[in-house]
Amino acid sequence: MARIIGGIGTSHVPTIAMAFDKGKQDDPDWKPLFKGYEPVAKWLAEKKPDVLFFCFNDHATTFFFDHYPTFALGVSDEYRIADEGVGVRQIPNLRGNAALSRHIAYSLVADEFDLAIFQDLPLDHGLHSPLTMMWPKSPDWPGAVIPLVVNVVQQPMPTPRRCYRLGKAIRKAVESYPEDLKVAMIGTGGLSHQMIGERAGFNDEAWDLEFLDLIERDPERLASMSVEDFMERGGNEGAEVIMWLIMRGALGTRAKKLHQNYYLPMTTAMAVALFE
Amino acid sequence: MSKYVFDLERSARGLRLNRFLNGLTRKENRDLFLKSPDEAMQDLSDEEKDMVRRLDWKALQDYGASFFCLEKLARTKGVSNPQMVAAFRGETLEQFLKTRRVPGAR
Repeated sequence: MARIIGGIGTSHVPTIAMAFDKGKQDDPDWKPLFKGYEPVAKWLAEKKPDVLFFCFNDHATTFFFDHYPTFALGVSDEYRIADEGVGVRQIPNLRGNAALSRHIAYSLVADEFDLAIFQDLPLDHGLHSPLTMMWPKSPDWPGAVIPLVVNVVQQPMPTPRRCYRLGKAIRKAVESYPEDLKVAMIGTGGLSHQMIGERAGFNDEAWDLEFLDLIERDPERLASMSVEDFMERGGNEGAEVIMWLIMRGALGTRAKKLHQNYYLPMTTAMAVALFE
Repeated sequence: MSKYVFDLERSARGLRLNRFLNGLTRKENRDLFLKSPDEAMQDLSDEEKDMVRRLDWKALQDYGASFFCLEKLARTKGVSNPQMVAAFRGETLEQFLKTRRVPGAR
């Protein structure tokens, strides 16, 4: 039987990938970020999950507003890297697990989560900016990813409660899969930032730290907030942290935070947290 | 609550412009835009073309461009996100960086 062995919450800021690709690991401006991911990379190397289930958003790269899905699940055995305007990032194509993806699709739809399904589409930095901080890309990825793309860029977005419930349904789906696989849940996004409008450049460190506490201890309270509450507290684009609730919902009632890192150098608060 | 929420009204208003911006994820479109902007922008209105030509980030945003679509134009023209954010705030990049904890992290 497949099982969920833990979860990771992480920012997916594109500059994380840029700093990684430019080899800024020892640059004083970036070192606090890289150090913060080391315990997470170590945990993954030791626990060796077969699959990372990624809850993230596309940035109007692969999906466009002529047809923008609320939840879209990838069901391919391989995913290409998307071109976001500067050519394709030089990392290997991502491996998928089509059989497990299909099982999850059937299970979630039976549970009344009517997902969009996609295959053979390229994925953007929402997934692979944090991925390279935690998983070695050479000689090849250690396992497969399953991408769940969530609309957090065009209102109306799904409610935080819907995300939390979806996480619980994903747990049920994974645990009903007969093959003996280890799955780690990854929730991406945030923390506080606003890129647009009169409040561009907004952050709130106090709210970010409260969020990092509540996501471990009291996710129900986060699930009872509205998307507008999240925008008010963490900035318009910061509301994407509702994707952490999918990850958290899949972990069960109790989850223990093993590690946390917080770094706010520029416009987006960059955080990573590990749960078992 | 911020008035700049990218909602369905904004999305409808900006659809044609956002489609052009999203198209810059393809190299052939970027090459054409850099070489012959008028030809690349032939589906846009004169107002839209003018804002794109001037890289007037604030005007593009107010018109209905999605930030994430504007990022494709910014990458094509070698403009960074802090530069765009500074423009939305009505500041120069230098002014904006003074408000940041680690101005070199970009």
